[in-house]
Amino acid sequence: MEIYLPIAEMSVHWLVLLGMGAAVGFLSGMFGVGGGFLLTPLLIFYGVPAEVAVATTASHLTASSMSGAVAQWRRRVIDFKMAGVMLAGGLAGTIVGVQLFALLRRVGQADIVISAGYVILLGSIGGLMLNESLRALRAAKAATTQPAAERHNWIHGLPLKMRFRTSRLYISVIPPIVLGFIVGILSSILGVGGGFVIVPAMIYLLRMPTSVVVGTSLVQIVFVTAMTTILHAASDFSVDIVLALFLILGGVIGAQYGVRIAARMQGEMLRLLLAVLVLAVGARLLYGLVITPRELYTVAVGMP
Amino acid sequence: MRRLIASLALCALASGASAEDLVSGLSQDQIQITSNYAGTDIVVFGAIESPETSETAGGIRDVVVVVRGPDADFAVRRKARVAGIWINRNKISLYGMPAYYYAASTRPLSKIASADTLAQYQIGLANLRPKGESTRSPRKGEPFRLAAIRLRERQKLYAEAPAGVEFLGYSLFRVRVPVPASVATGEYAVQVYLFRDGNVVSAQTTPLFVDQIGLERRLFRFAHGRPYAYGLATVAVAMLLGWGSSFLFRKQA
Repeated sequence: MEIYLPIAEMSVHWLVLLGMGAAVGFLSGMFGVGGGFLLTPLLIFYGVPAEVAVATTASHLTASSMSGAVAQWRRRVIDFKMAGVMLAGGLAGTIVGVQLFALLRRVGQADIVISAGYVILLGSIGGLMLNESLRALRAAKAATTQPAAERHNWIHGLPLKMRFRTSRLYISVIPPIVLGFIVGILSSILGVGGGFVIVPAMIYLLRMPTSVVVGTSLVQIVFVTAMTTILHAASDFSVDIVLALFLILGGVIGAQYGVRIAARMQGEMLRLLLAVLVLAVGARLLYGLVITPRELYTVAVGMP
Repeated sequence: MRRLIASLALCALASGASAEDLVSGLSQDQIQITSNYAGTDIVVFGAIESPETSETAGGIRDVVVVVRGPDADFAVRRKARVAGIWINRNKISLYGMPAYYYAASTRPLSKIASADTLAQYQIGLANLRPKGESTRSPRKGEPFRLAAIRLRERQKLYAEAPAGVEFLGYSLFRVRVPVPASVATGEYAVQVYLFRDGNVVSAQTTPLFVDQIGLERRLFRFAHGRPYAYGLATVAVAMLLGWGSSFLFRKQA
């Protein structure tokens, strides 16, 4: 049965929608990532307008990170104070990002900026991950010694310090706010949750205990993507609730299988696979930017 | 539908007009596209009132039916390669182009009338011209106009049907107009032209109101009419589903 997507203005078979959600859910369950960086390009490849893909993926991420956040909350491993501070920056970043996105749409460059942004993001993250996982696989054979983490870095010199009990930290609020702000912009322009940026930053920059990082970042992602959804809906009417619904349902189903598969696989191997996948999506987007398009013209209605 | 044909036929027979005249009607003058995901069809009926019969008729008679959607403004952009990457470079706005256009005829348009006549009545895709352009140079605007027509054709929002007018007998005709689901709502104009030997001898315009109903349309209206509430509703649904699915996971764990 064909489903008409009221905002994307296209008819798609419901199985295709469910399948896309399940595929992304499977991968995100398998790798423990939100999957926004896969879902947005996938929707664009399928012909969903870029702005609808970005905004709708944000609502999909609200659902998937909510699911994860609830699970973490049950284990009491969330630093709500830290999440709140990051969220202050995140919401500001979202507001700026959505305005920026609207401006890009007006000048007709939104699609190109989204693609180019993804190429840079996926290229650098995929490259880093590939490098790291290859090194880890090699190191697994030889004995390794972890380099001692330096106790103090430049972060500790910043003013406006605050105590975060759950994380057992006494640090300036500036880095978490800036971090949240960056993620807010990424979320609103590229339709990603930004977990792959904040999780490493929380561990290596803020030096938060690894146990609270996942839950705290998930809480932050729930609210940043929720804000992104609302602001996109308000500023450029690009959230497709029907599309979101099918993607979320598919995602829930897919994620369960992904988690099961992941349990049977070696961690380093999983990361290598994810790196290859990230690089492949990036390469496909880069290819789309550089090949001569079959149709040079585009027409937008109602935005002269 | 059958009743309409009958009444039109009666009309055609009853009026003993000396000149040829047109009577046309729509299956409905207000179209409500219901929850039809793949779009819908509207039917235009018509009859030619003529004192002559098929035996006495001379010359060549043609019917052209044009359905024109409400005016819309198009922003047409052309990509160009900048530093190895294809980006949107030039933009020309076309003001007052029909949001939807469908021209059905008994034969290919070029065989029915001269190019000048067709251009005068804006019949045929090639003769669709904007009411205004953002460029003063028609030479510069032309490729953008043609591209806009080509793209709308690909979206099935512009079309020509060279054999789309179907005659049921000598004077009754019928046209099936496909309306895709993504069509604009508003006031449409159904223009019926009767050509004889390449000249328009009669024309009639009927307004048609296109409105979409059904769940998708209501969601569209909700999204555009109360965007903040719509955004909040989407987030609420997403959060509930996410929260619900966390139970699913826990049970399985």
